[in-house]
Amino acid sequence: MSDSQRRKYTQEEKNSIFDGEFMPHIDSMYNFAFRLTFDEDDAKDLVQDTYLKAYRFINSFEQGTNAKAWLFRILKNSFINEYRKKSKQPAKVDYQEVETYYNSDDVDFQGTTDLRADSVKDMLGDEISNALNALAVDFRTVIILADLEGFTYEEMAKILDIPIGTVRSRLHRARNLLKDKLRGYAQSMGYKTDEED
Amino acid sequence: MENNGKETSEERKVSCGDVSKCFQLLESILDGEMGEEGKEVLKEKLDKCQPCFEHFHLEQAIREVLKTKCTKQPVPTQLADSIRQMIHESK
Repeated sequence: MSDSQRRKYTQEEKNSIFDGEFMPHIDSMYNFAFRLTFDEDDAKDLVQDTYLKAYRFINSFEQGTNAKAWLFRILKNSFINEYRKKSKQPAKVDYQEVETYYNSDDVDFQGTTDLRADSVKDMLGDEISNALNALAVDFRTVIILADLEGFTYEEMAKILDIPIGTVRSRLHRARNLLKDKLRGYAQSMGYKTDEED
Repeated sequence: MENNGKETSEERKVSCGDVSKCFQLLESILDGEMGEEGKEVLKEKLDKCQPCFEHFHLEQAIREVLKTKCTKQPVPTQLADSIRQMIHESK
């Protein structure tokens, strides 16, 4: 980092950015961390690490750009580099494998047609959360970013370091997998899954 | 059970020519990625294609429940303070 970059913000400006633009996202950050790690202590550590890094590299943050996306990117990289290795979770299915498997068009569509919008609307928060949590981390992540946090495809591409086209297709597959899970709940709970009206 | 569309469903195509492509397009529209153009495409799809119509409403319902019903984890009360403390110490 050059001297000019290093001196970009005064101490006062740094504090104001940190308090005004970074800290307001702590709620979203903690929930993202928890949905990645499923562990309160790990989530706490992950958020702490992220904020420390954010402060340390605050000069590479451009004021006026999306602070939340910038922070999410740091958190996601920290998770991949540190927490995924020592995660208490059993080893997840390799993402590439999952992606290849669900890449074919027939799998794409089968099994989701009989899930009805009304059944989904009747489901409980726990059922929705459990279905989401049951997805492999890469699929879970895109749904969290898009639907829970409201990021655009472009922001997601930056957070995840993948092209926009990959964001779109990964989301599409993630949603199909989620629908499979929801269909399972719908059936086991006796919600309507067939055409009846 | 709501049946909006039941009256007009006879006019809609019963099967969709390219489900995979159409559904991805619908999902992009729902995600707000298609702008004004998306609204026109959406109207046409929903008017003319029954599988697209059903898929759209299902996808919309899923987005809605994800946004409103997913259980939220309360942030530990000490977290913000401990972050500020750690930063203060690191200076």
